[in-house]
Amino acid sequence: MAARGGAAPGPAARAASASGRPGAWALMGSELSVLFRRLRTWAMLLALAAIPLLIATAVRLTSHPVPPARGPAFLDRISQNGLFVGMTAMLVSVPLFLPLTVGVVAGDTIAGEANLGTLRYLLVAPAGRVRLLLIKYAAAAVFCLTATVTVAAVGVLAGVALFPVGPVTLLSGDTIDVGESLLRSLLIAAYLAVSLLGLAAIGLAISTFTDIPVGAMAATVVLSVMSQVADNLPQLEWLHPWLFSHYWLDFADLLRQPISWTTFGGNALLQGGYILAAGAIAYGRFTSKDILS
Amino acid sequence: MTRRWLRWLPAAMVPAALTAAALAGSYQAGAAVSLPGKSAAEIIAMIGRSDVRALSGTLRQSSELGLPQLPSAGPLPSARPGANQGLAAVIELLGTPHTARIYLDGPSKARFQIMDTLAERDVVRNGKDLWLYNSADNSAAHITLPDAPAPGTRTPHAHVPADQDPKTPEMTTPEALAQRFLAAVDPSTEVTVGDPTTVAGRTAYQLVLKPRSTGTLLDSVTLAVDSASGLPLGIQLRAREQAAPAFSLAFSDISLAAPESSVFAFTPPRGASIEEKTVTSPVPVPESKHPAPGTHPAATRPTVTGKGWDTVVAFPAGVLPAGVRSAPAFAQLTQAVPGGRALSSSLVTVLMLDDGRVFAGMVPLERLQAAAAPQ
Repeated sequence: MAARGGAAPGPAARAASASGRPGAWALMGSELSVLFRRLRTWAMLLALAAIPLLIATAVRLTSHPVPPARGPAFLDRISQNGLFVGMTAMLVSVPLFLPLTVGVVAGDTIAGEANLGTLRYLLVAPAGRVRLLLIKYAAAAVFCLTATVTVAAVGVLAGVALFPVGPVTLLSGDTIDVGESLLRSLLIAAYLAVSLLGLAAIGLAISTFTDIPVGAMAATVVLSVMSQVADNLPQLEWLHPWLFSHYWLDFADLLRQPISWTTFGGNALLQGGYILAAGAIAYGRFTSKDILS
Repeated sequence: MTRRWLRWLPAAMVPAALTAAALAGSYQAGAAVSLPGKSAAEIIAMIGRSDVRALSGTLRQSSELGLPQLPSAGPLPSARPGANQGLAAVIELLGTPHTARIYLDGPSKARFQIMDTLAERDVVRNGKDLWLYNSADNSAAHITLPDAPAPGTRTPHAHVPADQDPKTPEMTTPEALAQRFLAAVDPSTEVTVGDPTTVAGRTAYQLVLKPRSTGTLLDSVTLAVDSASGLPLGIQLRAREQAAPAFSLAFSDISLAAPESSVFAFTPPRGASIEEKTVTSPVPVPESKHPAPGTHPAATRPTVTGKGWDTVVAFPAGVLPAGVRSAPAFAQLTQAVPGGRALSSSLVTVLMLDDGRVFAGMVPLERLQAAAAPQ
């Protein structure tokens, strides 16, 4: 990517210019600026933003109302309340679009640098391989949150623009006001971001094994699809609670009254386990490999 | 070179440590609990004395009934017409795992939420108002209860034996009642006390009811009773020749504090289809295994053969609603047997003959067929 050598000063440049160990925040800042100056990152965020826009326009343009219990959940509520656009969009993007974008970002972390030949410059500076791993992962985590918040925020904006907005009906049948529903939308975005952290860690680990970023990206996305397929096979029921995608659709628990925090906690614990395990593998590989490019 | 291999150590250790932690967690849950010993009669008396009036908790239900998986495992829209809807809903409710939350505050405030994936079914009672809500099709039903306390407000677990005079319980102590209950069930059932256990973080006694008969599919019923409050915390039904429990329902977390009153305040959402229902008589107790005489007209009154756990209930022709047999789920759930179709689960068998008669019981299919054979 042109951004690495172009206007954006990459971590390598920053690290080399600073004397001694550069500050972690400075490295993080430059890593984030590289990530978010990439055309690819913006293209992916735009694609994610297109999902709520597409849903909102499609529902707006159809003349007859969506019958209840047809299509994805919440779809029938959109024409009555625009705030459901964001929730429907998040639901639709959970199985494929969000894992796809996270897979691209996480798979690119180490393999992308190796492919461009910038990895060894990053490591020439005494930044340390562990620190580089941590910063790369933190940047991927920030992208997870950005991606889910993008879907939620564009969904709310599209809903406000195209549909009437009012108190939101929860799954329990209770009604909450607009302010609280925005808060819940943000909570769902946060839940989904947490849900994707495990996948991001797996992507980072895979990324340390190859110099070809596309391979790491594809492997990460394929793993996320496989995990979801396995989650749907009743024969593998014993495995289900251990799959990183197991709680992905359970964000609906945040739309109950009172909120059921059990899945949020269970999900966070599970993702934490995946982060630790994948992180340990990434550490083992990245600190022991010969950096040739 | 060895230094390089040491780098891989965390990659081996961390998954192992995580697995160990997860296993330790599940081991802790099943760890032995020591409680002062109690006899079966004392535990039953404890249930009878239980005065838990307010609680909030999460119930988990799982079942291994040996039924074929229905393709539509989600909540069924309650507005869908068809006579088989009730049957399918019951099978869906009992045959697939569920998580539900329950809130109770006194006899007149209750809320029950069945938490489906991306949907929820609610039952809210607040005084005389009873609301049913299904988020899958955004439909609500409102029932105004009569002034007299509905039978649901009585403690549902105090199962009074049939031969007991219903007027006397107020006069007797829970201990005496427990003794009478034990005496009543003793010919058919062996009641023992199992090892104490932990349910939802609370220590609990286990009461095991084991049928003396070998002719029934049921192996045992285990009731977990909270050691502090006497509240039943879980029930487990085991079938013969099956390792996993056929049906289990237990709290996964529970608090005996009164829930917030806002939980019981239900106003149907805007845009929901609302059905208004009124009942003048007390709400009928749903799904009674042995329907009380009089609830059925004489023509469809069931006849009971056998006794105890081997009981076979025979319904004369005409008890099945007309649409049941033509429903697609019917063909999937049942198998063809000579003279009709049979629904076999690990606990209950139902034989539906082509002439309309229906036989049901917690017995193997052969017993039903024998009961159906003309004498």
